[in-house]
Amino acid sequence: MVKDDSQSGFTWEARANGRGFHTARQKKSFLCFQWGRYAGNAVHSHKYSPLTFLPLTLFEQFHRAANLYFLLMVVLQCVPAISSIPWYITMIPLLVVLSVRAFKDLANDMARRRCDAAVNSRCCDVLISQSFRSAQWKDLCVGDILRISKDQVIPADLLLLCSSEPHSLCYVETADIDGETNLKYRQALSSTHIHLTCCPSEGALAAFDGVVQCEEPNDRLYVFRGHLLWRGECYHLENEHILLRGTVLRNTGFAYGLVVYSGTDCKIMRNCGKLKVKTARTEQVLNKMVIGIVLCLLLVALLLAVGNSVFSGGVMRQEGPLSAMVFNGNPAYSGFLVYWSYIILLSPAMPIALYITFEVIHTIHSRFIGWDLQLYWQPGDRPAEARNTSLNEELGQVGYLLSDKTGTLTQNRLLFRQCCIAGEIYGNGSVRAEEVEPMDLSWNPFSRGGLHMSAQSLVEKLRGHQCPASRQFFRALALCHTVMAEWKDETPVYQAASPDEEALVGAARELGWVFLRRTRDCVVVSELGVSHQYQLLALLDFTSRRRRMSVLVREPGGALNLYCKGADMVILERLQKNSPYLERTETALQVFAEACLRTLCVAVRSVPEASWEKWRKTLALCAVMATAERDTQLEKLYDEMEQDLQLLGVTAIEDRLQEGVPETICLLRKARIKVWVLTGDKKETAVNIGYSCKLLDPDARLLEWQDLRQILQSADPQVSFMKARQMELWATSKENAPAKVSLVFTGPELAEFEQKPEWGATFMNLAQQCQSVLCCRVTPAQKAEIVKLVRKHTDAITMSIGDGANDVNMIKTAHIGVGVAGVEGGQAVQNADFALSQFRFLQKLLLVHGRWSYRRISFFLRYFLFKTCSFALVHIWFGFFNGFSSQSLYETWFIALYTVCYTAAPVMCVAIFEQDVSAETSLELPELYRSGQQQELSGPLQLCLSLLHAVYTSLVLFFVSFGVFYNTAYDYQTMAITVAMAATFTASAEIVILTKYWTKLNVAAVCVSVVMFFICSRITHSSFLFQRSPSDYYFLGVSERAFADPVVWLTALLAAWTAVLPSFSAHAFRAVLNAPDKHKVHSTAPQTVEMSSKFTRRSPLRRSSYAVSQGEGPGRVINSAVSTRSAVMMMDEKSAATSKPAG
Amino acid sequence: MTTMKEEGNYANRPSNTAFTQQRLPAWQPMLSAGVVIPGFLLIGLAFIGIGVGLLITSRSIQVLELDYTGTETSSPCYQCTMSNQSNCVCKLSFSIGTLFKGPVFFYYGLTNYFQNQRKYGVSKDFNQLIGDVSYFKSPSSDCQPYQRVNGKPIVPCGAIANSMFNDTFKLYQIINGKEELVPFDGKGIAWWTDYNIKYRNPDYTPLKNAFNDTEKPVFWTKPAYELDTSDASNNGFINQDFLVWMRRAALPNFRKLYRRITEGNYKDGLPAGNYSLEISYNYPVISFEGTKKVTFSNVSWMGGQNEFLGIAYLVIGSMCVVMSVVMLIVYAKFRFPEED
Repeated sequence: MVKDDSQSGFTWEARANGRGFHTARQKKSFLCFQWGRYAGNAVHSHKYSPLTFLPLTLFEQFHRAANLYFLLMVVLQCVPAISSIPWYITMIPLLVVLSVRAFKDLANDMARRRCDAAVNSRCCDVLISQSFRSAQWKDLCVGDILRISKDQVIPADLLLLCSSEPHSLCYVETADIDGETNLKYRQALSSTHIHLTCCPSEGALAAFDGVVQCEEPNDRLYVFRGHLLWRGECYHLENEHILLRGTVLRNTGFAYGLVVYSGTDCKIMRNCGKLKVKTARTEQVLNKMVIGIVLCLLLVALLLAVGNSVFSGGVMRQEGPLSAMVFNGNPAYSGFLVYWSYIILLSPAMPIALYITFEVIHTIHSRFIGWDLQLYWQPGDRPAEARNTSLNEELGQVGYLLSDKTGTLTQNRLLFRQCCIAGEIYGNGSVRAEEVEPMDLSWNPFSRGGLHMSAQSLVEKLRGHQCPASRQFFRALALCHTVMAEWKDETPVYQAASPDEEALVGAARELGWVFLRRTRDCVVVSELGVSHQYQLLALLDFTSRRRRMSVLVREPGGALNLYCKGADMVILERLQKNSPYLERTETALQVFAEACLRTLCVAVRSVPEASWEKWRKTLALCAVMATAERDTQLEKLYDEMEQDLQLLGVTAIEDRLQEGVPETICLLRKARIKVWVLTGDKKETAVNIGYSCKLLDPDARLLEWQDLRQILQSADPQVSFMKARQMELWATSKENAPAKVSLVFTGPELAEFEQKPEWGATFMNLAQQCQSVLCCRVTPAQKAEIVKLVRKHTDAITMSIGDGANDVNMIKTAHIGVGVAGVEGGQAVQNADFALSQFRFLQKLLLVHGRWSYRRISFFLRYFLFKTCSFALVHIWFGFFNGFSSQSLYETWFIALYTVCYTAAPVMCVAIFEQDVSAETSLELPELYRSGQQQELSGPLQLCLSLLHAVYTSLVLFFVSFGVFYNTAYDYQTMAITVAMAATFTASAEIVILTKYWTKLNVAAVCVSVVMFFICSRITHSSFLFQRSPSDYYFLGVSERAFADPVVWLTALLAAWTAVLPSFSAHAFRAVLNAPDKHKVHSTAPQTVEMSSKFTRRSPLRRSSYAVSQGEGPGRVINSAVSTRSAVMMMDEKSAATSKPAG
Repeated sequence: MTTMKEEGNYANRPSNTAFTQQRLPAWQPMLSAGVVIPGFLLIGLAFIGIGVGLLITSRSIQVLELDYTGTETSSPCYQCTMSNQSNCVCKLSFSIGTLFKGPVFFYYGLTNYFQNQRKYGVSKDFNQLIGDVSYFKSPSSDCQPYQRVNGKPIVPCGAIANSMFNDTFKLYQIINGKEELVPFDGKGIAWWTDYNIKYRNPDYTPLKNAFNDTEKPVFWTKPAYELDTSDASNNGFINQDFLVWMRRAALPNFRKLYRRITEGNYKDGLPAGNYSLEISYNYPVISFEGTKKVTFSNVSWMGGQNEFLGIAYLVIGSMCVVMSVVMLIVYAKFRFPEED
């Protein structure tokens, strides 16, 4: 089995108790240098150290083109020859921006540090010189031997050496890895089990000197390849010998493990992906816009500089007052200097204030999310949290929602809701589980509550010994399973590999058939208070192909019975001919399916002694066969046994969805958000959930991988797709409704997909036409791959939502990651941009907060660009009349205060308070959400229109004043204040027309801003300030005169009104035209709901399945009769004798 | 009681205020055709009204503009442009048909003169001009190239001061062939703040002493302390003509107030008749293709004549009215079929 070392590529080595060996090779780093091989077990997700904070944060900040640009401006302004505006006008805001951001980064980093420290300082027991001592996680290293006790989180990837349980089995919960809450078993190698299990084990463990040779650290969670070299022998290692970091040890007293991978080498850490800073799309558009504007400004400045050179040349030739003013008498040099001066002068078109304000608004929007009572989850006392404060507007543009299943859509709580025994349905599936009135089960000492079914008649039948079928039904439930019972406080607590089984066994317990305990060869069940011991002869395990499991037991009376449960399709075809109640059972299945319940059929067969003997012999023969052959043989053999079944009944289990999930998905789909479900769970479960959470319509056709591959391979995928879509439809209904198709595929299939990157575009094209997509059995890395695929081939915003560590990667990869803060805090939230407590909160987060944020920020950006450009571009036109000399048309203080004081507050109010429709209406009309997806408000076209309007405004501002002041006695300073006044009026008028939601603050902001202009002008033009610093406040007395001059006022008013005329007219025309439109939206909305509900009732497909963990069921561990794998070969003699009579 | 108790346990519960829940009371005006169309109409009418008022006012203002650059040979000032003769005097004759109502403002005007050029504009020293003698010795570097001459600092330094307009005018009314001097009032033509705060003479008597070891601007014929030797309150940096010149013009074509005619017989204006303007022609403008002119104008509430403003108001006002009509048509066309 074991290959040669050189061939196997097992280059990673972990030496047991080899602390010295490994610490010497530990990974270390200094600045950017790294050496060493083995990572320490400490997690470092923080970025800064005290030494590196300042350089790193500055480096990061100046990575932003905008900051660099502003720095350049400051530098330019410090050069006296070209400084058209004093340096402090830009410097002070820049410093504020830099320090605010640095502070924010620092705070975030501190939080990460604290988080890391909490993880790193968790304790576990390490074997140090013959005894276990408590150590912190961060001090572990490869080669250490650990003792993990029950319910402890495993601190690193371990090789299981032995455990306190028989055969060194142990159970782990992998919820944080793959989202499955059922228990998985792991088993130590037989040799380590035998040699290391002794009391006390410290001595044996300390002497253990095995060497693990395996693959280099990688991100494959379900694969481990390597071998253990010990005592001259080489043992093959597989995934089942490995305990992964992040899993939790359950049901096992102690487990001893050898650290193989630690810290960042752990498989789960390798799956986490890189920490990436996400920037919103709007910000990217903004950045592009900024670059565009800056380039335009550079070009304009160049043209103006050329103009200056020409003008200077002309002046030089003449003898006039200006000729001496040409720099060094060289027009070209003059033009060169003026170029830089114009860059400075035009730079306010792109003010720093934009970025500060942008950040402030984002922060406030994020706070609104945290403050929202409707996003507050009372039972957990947890409000929503926006952890990344720069993505709010993206929430209003989401096109794809990629959701995890377990813990996100479902609660992973399965409830036994109904059953059908002998054709009779008990329980009512249409009542919500919470509203079911509990039955009186006080007669049953083992009852622990939690049965959400009300069927008093059934109880009476059971207790009255009237109905043998129902008694047998529950006996089957109590016997046919792989559940383990653990005794706590006089009652059995069930530990099941599958939550379905737990629900079934639990239901049987409530109704009097209590599974008490099992040994290798018998099961003890208390039937209505009387204990019976059933001899377990064989356990025919579940596989995803068989879709059923059976147990063969010898009843206390001596009769042989086979109890079988499985998917309806499988069981129904194995029934005896003309079995009774078949028709009524079919109806029951239909009823259960309509109620979105998961069904299993339960059947029994009385096995004749002779056939058992024969079958047993064949089984024993099978057991010694080679693996591949054996499996098919076994399947055949099982199939032989599971024939001629007698139907007992049907169970109906509700996979509890999180509250409000179907409604939320329904609403999001109406908002044209594509919902994809990515789950590590198996296909049947996922599809089932898909139906019950309204993700899949009952009449939707499921397009599976085989079909999809054919379509993708065909010459014209589009045509094939249409064909595939219609085929099913024409077969089932004559209606000409558009066919609904959903894609379902699994992780391994996706792997095939990855090899053919050219399919990506076609696939996305098809997926866009599908209702939804279900991806099952995907690893965390694959989840991220899918997100990447969507991101690559569409330009829609993607959002990932999940709750476990397995979702971290996809949460990080998507544009927006949402972590559902479930029962356990979890890593998902740590890495998410938004943390919610419930899936249903997405409704309000997206449709209300997202939509509002998007609108507000779009308005804000457009308005901001408008106001700054319109005011700064005036200098271009003025240049034509002052010899392109980069003379400012404004007082420097006006330039400094315009964006900060005179126009900032109103637009802030809009960006904070604006609501076009109320939160309730937003939720009622999900159609409104589409404007964000299509970028109706923030698209390049809209931004260009705003810029065009700004250019027009600057023309108006200048030329109206020009016309008035041309050839008059008005001086430059009066003109400056007039244009400034007009600019302020224009900006205020524009915001007034933009504001649709006038709170008191809006009104105050507008009034105060305008008044501020007058007050600040009077202040900066006052004699007091002039006397302090004449050259900074040389506009002395201008406003005093100008504000009393009717011409100044009339000019400013005229210019302002002319400037806003286009936008006012546009709004007016929209008001005139739009009125009927609103009406339309209202009238069409309810119709779609009705339509879809009509379709729902048409032909619900039956959904019968059984959710167990990946791969084969755990049956072989429970009953080794069917197991021949090496791991179980060395079970103790006694059990081997009973379970393998032939051997 | 239970709710009270529960409230206490939920430490993280967001507060339920109108602000945090985004339910601030607000006025949500809906723009509708009923508001928009009359609104535009009203604004349009208001603008037309203002425009008409402005135009009427502007038309009522009398303006007399005379170019005396002397580029044409027929111009009386032609000979002054010929050579570099100093103290060239030329006389411009004109007549006024009807009474030019007073008070009459007398302006000089320049064209193609870029007083708003940046380097020109910053070329002065505020500290010198507020009378700080320490800056007399070391003028600001902004004054370059009029900072120093012959190693001595220039006071007042800088291009603006240096290029001060130095033509002077005398107006005579010709009554029965005799020239009668029309008295000019040169007081208060500069801004109050300029005269009282922005420009101050150094506290020296005589003023001349403050200017020791300094040079007059190179283009000037006499130093600053001799601008008006007759009146100490009009001398030095607070000379009204100097102040008017120092207040930079907005655009390359401008006028600046020279004198007012408010005294004596001419209190009510310039009566009809023949006049002669004696110009001492010093200021060169031909070299940069500029022109010089003088303007007589009376003023109204809106200052001098300004047709542009009135016309612009009329145009914009009419546009608004047209817009409202268009909107009405659109409204009628698109709205009513919908409701049928």
